[in-house]
Amino acid sequence: MTASFDGGPTNPRRGRPLRATRRDVLGLAALGLAGATATPVHAAAPAGQLTIGVHISLAPTWFDPAETAGIITPFLVMYALHDAMLKPLPGQNPGPCLAESWTASPDGLTYDFVLRPGVTFHNGDPVTAEDVKFSFERYRGTEHATMKERVASVDIADPRHVRFNLKAPWPDFVTFYSSATGAGWIVPKQYVEKVGDDGFKRAPIGAGPYKFVSFTPGVELVLEAHDQYWRKTPGVKRIVMRVIPDESTRLAALKRGEVDIALSIRAELAEEVQRTPGLTLQAPVGSAPYWMYFPEQWDPKSPWHDVRVRRAAALAIDGKTINQALTLGFSHLTNSAFPENFEYYWQPPPPVYDPEQARHILAEAGFPSGFDAGSYTCDIAYANLGEAVLNNLVAVGIRARLRPLERVSFFAGFGDKKFRNIIQGASGAFGNLATRLEAFVVKGGTYAYGNYPELDELFARQATELDRAKREELLFKMQQIVHEKAIYAPIWQLAFICGVGPRVAQSSFGLIKGFVYPAPYEELTLKGA
Amino acid sequence: MKQFIIRRLGYSLISLIVLSLTIFFFVRVTGDPATLLVEPGASEADIAAIHHQFGLDRPLVVQYLLFMANLARGDLGQSFYYQMPVSELYLSRLPNSLLLAAVAMSFSLLIGIPTGILAAVRVGSFWDSAGKLFALLGLSLPSFFVGLLMILFFSVYLGWLPSSGSGTALHLIMPAFALGWYFAAAHMRLMRSSMLEVLGSEYIKLARLKGLPQALVIGKHALKNALTPVLTLAGINLVLMINVAVIVETVFAWPGVGRLLYEGVSFRDFPVVQGVVILGGAMIVVVNLLVDILYAVIDPRIRLET
Repeated sequence: MTASFDGGPTNPRRGRPLRATRRDVLGLAALGLAGATATPVHAAAPAGQLTIGVHISLAPTWFDPAETAGIITPFLVMYALHDAMLKPLPGQNPGPCLAESWTASPDGLTYDFVLRPGVTFHNGDPVTAEDVKFSFERYRGTEHATMKERVASVDIADPRHVRFNLKAPWPDFVTFYSSATGAGWIVPKQYVEKVGDDGFKRAPIGAGPYKFVSFTPGVELVLEAHDQYWRKTPGVKRIVMRVIPDESTRLAALKRGEVDIALSIRAELAEEVQRTPGLTLQAPVGSAPYWMYFPEQWDPKSPWHDVRVRRAAALAIDGKTINQALTLGFSHLTNSAFPENFEYYWQPPPPVYDPEQARHILAEAGFPSGFDAGSYTCDIAYANLGEAVLNNLVAVGIRARLRPLERVSFFAGFGDKKFRNIIQGASGAFGNLATRLEAFVVKGGTYAYGNYPELDELFARQATELDRAKREELLFKMQQIVHEKAIYAPIWQLAFICGVGPRVAQSSFGLIKGFVYPAPYEELTLKGA
Repeated sequence: MKQFIIRRLGYSLISLIVLSLTIFFFVRVTGDPATLLVEPGASEADIAAIHHQFGLDRPLVVQYLLFMANLARGDLGQSFYYQMPVSELYLSRLPNSLLLAAVAMSFSLLIGIPTGILAAVRVGSFWDSAGKLFALLGLSLPSFFVGLLMILFFSVYLGWLPSSGSGTALHLIMPAFALGWYFAAAHMRLMRSSMLEVLGSEYIKLARLKGLPQALVIGKHALKNALTPVLTLAGINLVLMINVAVIVETVFAWPGVGRLLYEGVSFRDFPVVQGVVILGGAMIVVVNLLVDILYAVIDPRIRLET
């Protein structure tokens, strides 16, 4: 940041002050990028207590956005305690939050954010550009190296204007800043500097809809409504996240009214929820498509080298029956290996179950009696899915053995490219289609066992394409090729089944597409409260 | 006696070193914790950063020596998952485990000792068979199954008890029973066999020949001697209850040390697993040491033999 004549910082590349002008604001409005109004919707005062039975032990690292891991679970807490500049919101991904608007320069090298006026942290301190810069520079979670490598500097114009200067055009900057990392989640600079990192984890202060009250490791997290939350006054006064690791116990607690929401209920138990008067099921679909992958498709000696064999495997999957049996029909059957809620998703034709056609294609490919396909390797947590798919494969003549591996061994082996035959996998990593293709399809990808040059070439082109429409075209083309070559045989996009008790008026499940937790929390309401 | 104690202390120290070596290397065989802290598809840089943050990129021997050096200073390390000192986590869970163990142990002794005596005194009778059945069920029914049945019956159907959690006396009843039953069965069996052995001894026959009432023979003369092995076992069991009530604490969401161990194993949280196992092992070693010394004080032959 360099000082200008009026004391404001300047853009080192262009030398003009960063203070937003009326023209900037008009420009933003014209671009349709201006966010929601700054006026918060103040409904009735928050009331009552809502208890959420959580399936996993809450970790204090989730209280600090700087340590956001590349998994979705921390966002269970972050959506309550903290707020981001931009984040996925109902109907908007990303939606403007602490930043009421943002814009990118035509050359893709600078991103200007305008902070929402009058927003405060839970301790009453205003959210300023200093906090934004501090939070970004302090960030050390997933993909922090990528962020730091690509962002040259963060300039502060005034307390409400901040500019990110990139070293080179990076079309995915907003994706990474808003959802794929925690770099855009803002913490109060003054408070963090005062209490230190450990102190912050013990008593976090954020700008989210709920304030931290207490945390007992392995037991519960207690939160209280932040009445002044900019987006909306939360409907529930107090939220308690109670850790109940056992699924049956969570269901019992829901039935007894000890918890109002029980996260993660298996299908067998979910049927009990359906049978119980007053309880309802919610099954948001996350960002994790499950698929079969054929690592031998690049080996000319393998049956999987023939695209017809791979297509036959896809045709053999009776997704509807499997979905009904394992997730009560709540999962989304898909014909894509990529999440339907991701930016640049190309909608493929719907999946088809046709075992007759599968047998026919196999015969055409030279396997009239089927073939021995070796191992079907999967994460043991989803061995039930593997077993069901395997039965379908056997029915058309693709004979394989189930090889369930403990989760760590599975992903270690998958990443080390040790598996052969058939792999059943999935990923819930954040990002967009480009980030997903990079890991699973493109040459050198963490989980790519081989590559197709045309895909690599398209990927390289899209990585520097600033025109959104052209980039979309390239990424659509890549997905079409993945589909045509049947690199993956998609199964479903998994639903996260949860139970909701009779006191809850609105559970918030599914409001944010691809997010499996009951957020935004300010939307939660209790009956009669 | 002094030499005996020094020798026993040496054995205890060796046991703890062997335990530390075993648990340190054993947990590392289970896999890379970084894999559980990121989603599939995470960059290698992210995984490497986690390795570096937790010191997992150092040679194993260096990691072990650091672990032992810290342990000698009373530092059990920092939890990968909770990002808190393991000792702090352990101490925050310990009171819950002590409470649960104390109630479960009281229950197991209150049930196990009288039923064991009754079964021994009335060998072959209905009471003996009932006691054997009680012991058989207690030892063979998995505690998670007992726990879930209790939740279903007492929480869901009858609505008498909270299904899980902690905070009130009512929260203690089901986990204490589920945990205590197994140990009550073990205590009952030992009490029965020990009592049978004592009842066959000469001094009991003499007491009976002298015409002492049955209650006095059993309650005063036989019980004291028959109780010794049961109480010794109870001491060791108490340590086990405190540290390894993994299943019961998980089913009932009881925030004790056992559940901490479960969480440590689930998340490949090496420092937590190491810490809980080392502290649990240390408790067992200390209890054994005290028992050995106590035996040596009571019976001089022991200190001369070993």
